[in-house]
Amino acid sequence: MDHSHHKEISHMAHNTTVPSHHHHPTTSASHSHSHGGGMGDMMMHMTFYFGFKNVELLFSGLVINTAGEMAGAFVAVFLLAMFYEGLKIARESLLRKSQVSIRYNSMPVPGPNGTILMETHKTVGQQMLSFPHLLQTVLHIIQVVISYFLMLIFMTYNGYLCIAVAAGAGTGYFLFSWKKAVVVDITEHCH
Amino acid sequence: SKMHFIFSNEVVLLFDFWSVHSPAGMALSVVVVLLLAVLYESIKVGKAKLLYQAAVSLSIPTSQLTEETDQDSSGSDSPPVSRTRLRWFFCHFGQSLIHVVQVVIGYFMMLAVMSYNTWIFFGVILGSAVGYYLAYPLLSMV
Repeated sequence: MDHSHHKEISHMAHNTTVPSHHHHPTTSASHSHSHGGGMGDMMMHMTFYFGFKNVELLFSGLVINTAGEMAGAFVAVFLLAMFYEGLKIARESLLRKSQVSIRYNSMPVPGPNGTILMETHKTVGQQMLSFPHLLQTVLHIIQVVISYFLMLIFMTYNGYLCIAVAAGAGTGYFLFSWKKAVVVDITEHCH
Repeated sequence: SKMHFIFSNEVVLLFDFWSVHSPAGMALSVVVVLLLAVLYESIKVGKAKLLYQAAVSLSIPTSQLTEETDQDSSGSDSPPVSRTRLRWFFCHFGQSLIHVVQVVIGYFMMLAVMSYNTWIFFGVILGSAVGYYLAYPLLSMV
């Protein structure tokens, strides 16, 4: 009997790119007495806009001021979103491969009429300290960080950058799940 | 000053033109956001079902694709094979478009919640619940 097993539920229930909500630092609160969104809020956009002047992106030194810089940022965000989709699919296939080993564990249980029955437990999973599980954990952290970055980028409300996120996600999904789609496991629902 | 959830009949959601001032406008906005959340959950289920159906339909032996093969093709079956590939390509491309819609709606819902308007938040949560409740049983149906 091996108790060092870590049972993992092998169904990907998390959704795509929207992580759980977070509290964003704000400049001014909009109370019920203010007129709509744009008035009391000078620094952060609260509606979609198209522009490339003075666009702050994630980090304090990263400010876009020209069309060329916006084009570069578009490409970078596009690639980041594509990489995110690829990472998701890579993790799924890695998980599936490392769960090929199935352990059967039989234990006696009392049955009716005083008989002893053998109950067999099937465990599909990974050991805690195994390399696949550690790798999955590292990849998970990277995936979470990138998903938050994409969320923060979308939160700039800049139309160009939002389109870059959406297009990158679509392209990444198209390219990377091409092969994956051939192996369809219908018990896995929802991404 | 900190942001926190407030009950208010005034909000601007996502676009400049979506500006709400009245209880009626707020009610309508909550309904729209609710339907958006229902759509999001439905798309998730729809994508999985489309994938399953595509895989099932394309694993049928090519001789049974009766609407595409000619009856008099005795030996060669290369046209159905390439047509299968093309169908698979279009199917996968369609799936990718659906994925883009799913991603965008997911972000829209996140931004709507970020307005910190409690009515809108309730709409998103209720819509997710209703959408999940209605759509997920369809997954196990063939």
